[in-house]
Amino acid sequence: MSESLIKNHNERLKGLIRKRRFWNIFLSIGILLGLIFSSKIIDINASRLLSGLPRLGDYVAQILPSLETNSLFLDSKTEGSISYWYFNLPKYLHLLFETFNMALVATIIGSSIALFLSFFAAKNTAPNSLIYFITRRTLEFFRGVPEIIFAILFVWALGIGPIAGIIAMMLHTTGSLGKLFSEVHENSDVRPREALKASGGNWFSEMKFGLLPQVLPNLISYILLRFEINIRASTILGFVGAGGIGQELYLVINFNYYEEVSAIIFLIILTVISIDILSGYLRKNIIEAE
Amino acid sequence: MTDKDIMNLHPQVFYPLWKRSPLFILTLISIFTYLIFSINYFNFSLNDLLNGFSKMKPILISMVTWNDFFTWNFNSILIGILQTLSMAFLGTIAASIVSIPLGLLASRQVVKISLPRFIIRRFLDFIRGVDILIWALIFVRAFGLGPLSGVLAIFVADTGTLSKLYSEAADNSDNKPIEGLVSSGATKISTLRFGLIPQVMPIFISQSLYFFESNSRSAVILGIVGAGGIGLQLSERMKAQYWDQAFFIILLILIMVAVIDRVSRALREKLINE
Amino acid sequence: MKSLRIKNLKKKFKNTIAVNGINIEIDEGKIIGIIGRSGAGKSTLLRMINRLVDPTEGSIEFDDIKVSSIKGRALRKWRSECAMIFQQFNLVERLDVLTNVLIGSLGRNYNLLNLFGIFSKEEKINALKNLDRFDLSGIALQKAGTLSGGQQQRVAIARALMQKPRILLADEPISSLDPKNAKRVMDDMLKINREDGITIICNLHSLEVAKKYCDRLIGLSDGKVVFDGNPEELTTEISKELYDLDNE
Repeated sequence: MSESLIKNHNERLKGLIRKRRFWNIFLSIGILLGLIFSSKIIDINASRLLSGLPRLGDYVAQILPSLETNSLFLDSKTEGSISYWYFNLPKYLHLLFETFNMALVATIIGSSIALFLSFFAAKNTAPNSLIYFITRRTLEFFRGVPEIIFAILFVWALGIGPIAGIIAMMLHTTGSLGKLFSEVHENSDVRPREALKASGGNWFSEMKFGLLPQVLPNLISYILLRFEINIRASTILGFVGAGGIGQELYLVINFNYYEEVSAIIFLIILTVISIDILSGYLRKNIIEAE
Repeated sequence: MTDKDIMNLHPQVFYPLWKRSPLFILTLISIFTYLIFSINYFNFSLNDLLNGFSKMKPILISMVTWNDFFTWNFNSILIGILQTLSMAFLGTIAASIVSIPLGLLASRQVVKISLPRFIIRRFLDFIRGVDILIWALIFVRAFGLGPLSGVLAIFVADTGTLSKLYSEAADNSDNKPIEGLVSSGATKISTLRFGLIPQVMPIFISQSLYFFESNSRSAVILGIVGAGGIGLQLSERMKAQYWDQAFFIILLILIMVAVIDRVSRALREKLINE
Repeated sequence: MKSLRIKNLKKKFKNTIAVNGINIEIDEGKIIGIIGRSGAGKSTLLRMINRLVDPTEGSIEFDDIKVSSIKGRALRKWRSECAMIFQQFNLVERLDVLTNVLIGSLGRNYNLLNLFGIFSKEEKINALKNLDRFDLSGIALQKAGTLSGGQQQRVAIARALMQKPRILLADEPISSLDPKNAKRVMDDMLKINREDGITIICNLHSLEVAKKYCDRLIGLSDGKVVFDGNPEELTTEISKELYDLDNE
């Protein structure tokens, strides 16, 4: 009896190990083939990499500021001081403020539209399956197309400036939040809504009282997360002329205003990290308030 | 009980709205004020917007009328897609390899002293603060136009994020197997090799797969700053106002991303179940 | 004339027949207990009366309302006259007790302001009075999720009263409660039946409770009526058959 048990167990263990081994080999071969194939396509090779590396080093050295310890805090006329490095700070701050506002406006409008559409994109709240299908596909389209592609299109139509960037981000935000929101709706508890329905409440009161109170903390948390993403996105939309600090960054990189490159990049990093921390703190509080 | 008595039970219920939920009213007002402020700030005018949109009408029409479909250069489009996928693949693999040691070094489970951990984490934050497109722009400056710069941009940007995720996975790993090995006198390296790695490897792989998925999305746009791939094909066609071909490429991208999503999700589920 | 008339009512789900030809007529002002094993079709029957579930065949009529075929506004009006409480209480746990009760008025008297969480002074007084009837006015401002099961079910009854209903459907109202709370809930239902004259149709698992509170019992088995009469008429044999006790 016990012998057969042990035998059985050994058999099973062997099977598991065999399966595991199969997967490991399968993955390794897949990765190897992928590596060979893709290096061929991209025409990557050691000599190109090696010749590029020193140039990268040179470039990084060029864009970093030449700060000198004894003149660090002197005025903007003295080379080697921080204020010399950041002589253009007022302009940067102005552009950063624009970047921030682009992200915020796009998040507010985009998430409002997303909230509205999400009711039609969730299986359990859509009035019928045709509307569900159409809304879902529309949201997927807006989510799937990168915002910068939209930005190119709107810059062409509306001219250079932040409005094009805002609309581009707004559309992308609508797409991705709309989908996330509808998934939250689908995972919500149906019982409170059932009670609303059973008492003769219409669809609007069902959503407002039966659904929203349940999902709201989740939605807010997703909106904050999206805001973080939009802050990042709005720093680069300027590359195609859609406003924000990206426009300036693109300019200084292309015109080789070396030290300004690092000055702007550091400012962007500072902004992104502080927004992340702030929004992370808010999200944590919202979740803990539950 | 009279109505008065009832009202006296919870008088605050009958206060005016602004007194009952000041936070709600305040939020509404501030969002409203902010939107008005931004209309002003961005010089937004509905007229310009409508004009712009009316300009888009012919674009939208030409997007869906594919007259000379059979004369398009499908070869360059196909190569663009293959390049984009290769960029995503190579970038993800390289980032995953570098992220294993970096992630472990940034984890509480491995490095007990907080200073080196702190430095690595801030370094990773720094990398993550720069958008992938900015990295691409920098690499294009150093390595020239082409997909190689794209691979490097993905590699650097992903190293920042993957290392962080890896270190969190290591932080959340089960302590018992590790303690067991330590108590049996195993060396530091073999503790990691047999205590920690087997636990976190499936998570690492599934996260890398997930990143390959999201990179196939971000690799698309790298072409816009000259880092090759399908994005280059797309932005060239948009610049030349070949809207029909541009829209065709956008559809191809959507299909490509959807297929990769499916495959990678299936693989990830398999991996986690094994 | 009997006010609620159910004729040849049937409900088929994909593979099962939940209700298989039920004919009953119900007087106004009584407490009717519906008994039977779980899966006997009790819950589906109640849900069809409120039209949370649409019947496959047959008709439900109340006075001159053709309950089984109305739509839209008329359906919502019927639902507001035909209140329902549930085994799991179905309160909105994140909202306070008072708002949960106020929600009951939405079917009867709805305006756009309600969507912003604003209710008239009359409705608020009304809601507090309803809570007060069940000694719940003290906890009117607590979150519903923080209450005990018994309290939640009584809040649900107060919510049902806000609808000014003619019928109250109770779907296993005490199945998730301990005996003490179950008694309070049943007493409260008895109270609104006797004081307000609201007809109550109540699915009950416990025969003992059913016999004690109900004026009339209807036994269901496999979607069919197998017993209909006064509680005294329910013999041990019939109840054994109803609950399939021999097989347990």
